[in-house]
Amino acid sequence: MSDQMRNRLMLAVALVLAAIYLFPLYWMYITALKTGSAMFATPPKFLPSEPQWSIYAHVWESRNMGRYLWNSLVIALGAVSLIAVLGVGCAYVLARYRSVWVDIGLFLILMLQVLPASLMVTPIFVGFSQFGLLDTPRLAVILAIAAKSMPFFVVLVRATFMSVPMELEEAALVDGNSRFGAFFNIVLPLARNGILVSAILIFMQAFGEFVYSKSMIQAVELQPASVGLNSFMGPNTNEWNNIMAYATIYVTPVLAVFILLQRRIVSGLTSGALK
Amino acid sequence: MKRILASVTDGKGFDIGLVLLPLAFLLVLSGLPLVYNVVMSFQEVDMFSLGTFARPFVGFKNYVDLFSQPETRPILLNTALFVSASIAGQFLIGFGLALFFSMNFPGASWLRGLFLVSWVMPGLVVGAIWNWILSGDFGVLNFFLRETGIIDGNIFWRSDPHYSLWAVIIANIWLGTSFNMILLSVGLSGIPKDLYEAAELDGANALQRFFTITLPMMRSTIGAIIALGLIFTLQQFDLFAGITSGGPNNSSNVTQYWAWDLSFRQYDFAKGATISVIMIVFVMLASVVYVRSTRHEVRG
Repeated sequence: MSDQMRNRLMLAVALVLAAIYLFPLYWMYITALKTGSAMFATPPKFLPSEPQWSIYAHVWESRNMGRYLWNSLVIALGAVSLIAVLGVGCAYVLARYRSVWVDIGLFLILMLQVLPASLMVTPIFVGFSQFGLLDTPRLAVILAIAAKSMPFFVVLVRATFMSVPMELEEAALVDGNSRFGAFFNIVLPLARNGILVSAILIFMQAFGEFVYSKSMIQAVELQPASVGLNSFMGPNTNEWNNIMAYATIYVTPVLAVFILLQRRIVSGLTSGALK
Repeated sequence: MKRILASVTDGKGFDIGLVLLPLAFLLVLSGLPLVYNVVMSFQEVDMFSLGTFARPFVGFKNYVDLFSQPETRPILLNTALFVSASIAGQFLIGFGLALFFSMNFPGASWLRGLFLVSWVMPGLVVGAIWNWILSGDFGVLNFFLRETGIIDGNIFWRSDPHYSLWAVIIANIWLGTSFNMILLSVGLSGIPKDLYEAAELDGANALQRFFTITLPMMRSTIGAIIALGLIFTLQQFDLFAGITSGGPNNSSNVTQYWAWDLSFRQYDFAKGATISVIMIVFVMLASVVYVRSTRHEVRG
């Protein structure tokens, strides 16, 4: 068998595997376009005969999605900014030195990274309510998400800083820069891409966050899209086309960003998790 | 004052400031809740004492009560089943896919990366999609299983107590497979190619090469991935909220969902804190394994 034949065969198998794996996503997009009766047809239709494009506008209006997505955006942006401001410096110091203290710091951070949100939400909720933080519920959620996701961000960004040669910074110091100046003018610009990719990953996580928002935000006007989706799905719902349209609107921007930045995201993720 | 300022912009103080600020933040927002959790698990907490710090201490009463509840045992068993089945499924499918994609062909790395969409999607959306796929009368999974002759009648995945936990497990395997695959691919690409060439010259077949080279060389990667899998599966909450809500009758309930349910559905914050403490200890043990195996990887 020639090399070209082999390559084509492998690619075909790979495409089939990917198609099987991504079928749930396809099913979401297709179901959203079906009419109420086509949705419950047996056997199910794998291509919608009369796509209902108007469903998106309908769901957007009736479920008030603009407000939900806005809240998701506020929460995610707030959490990412807070994490980036605090986390970048921490990652830099942990990457620049090698000592027992750095090891201890890293160990603590890795331990904090693994705490499940659904287990931490009980003490955080009670504590926040005692300090009156639940009066500004979106801020409370931002703080909780920041505490949960910062360790992961630090681990990812630390890997980026490790790849910035220390000599460049030392040269800047010799040229008369202060540590402050060398950090902001030399090191940060060099690590910019890695920081950006890590921030995007954190943003995606925060954009879909559910446990904290569900527990701490009682007012419907302040809830993010994940909580909105949850209250849309009653126990005996049969509006699956509407729910899938909601899910489509919610998830498509995230998927678009992911596909555009796929290579960077994948490599950033793997460098953080295994090194 | 001037010396301190100078140190902050241009000396050790710069590093210390950079690292202390975030550590203080984490200490207040993760460390304190952790301690507070333990304290609450020894207290009597109800809706009236929620706002005060002065609550009566009750010793180990919450722990004793918890373990004398009839649903505790099944929920712990569910958790064990959920964790082991999810990890096994994610790892085996992920390893198979990683091995396939490690054979070089054009487009391999791009297609492999595409699998990660399952991982970047909001968990609740994944839950909603699988909720619909697993639906009893009109679910597309039942349709496939019927067409291929695996089942005769529809399985009511979400409402049949025998299958409800498996409904969440299936969704969780789908969710986690891609992450396992990507990390295993990284491990596979780190094995030197000449090892395989040498083994091939010595006459080892593909199966022998897998067991004598691939598996031993991947040992620490596999350890890290299984520990990570344990950590991630114990964090899984959204799928339970999106598919079964722990029902019917706790048949698909697991500790991490139960802890939340106790606190925020039944307002029994002390019990919620108690089960959280037990599980957090467990997760921390897993993460020690993870940290150790990644350290091993780097320092080798």
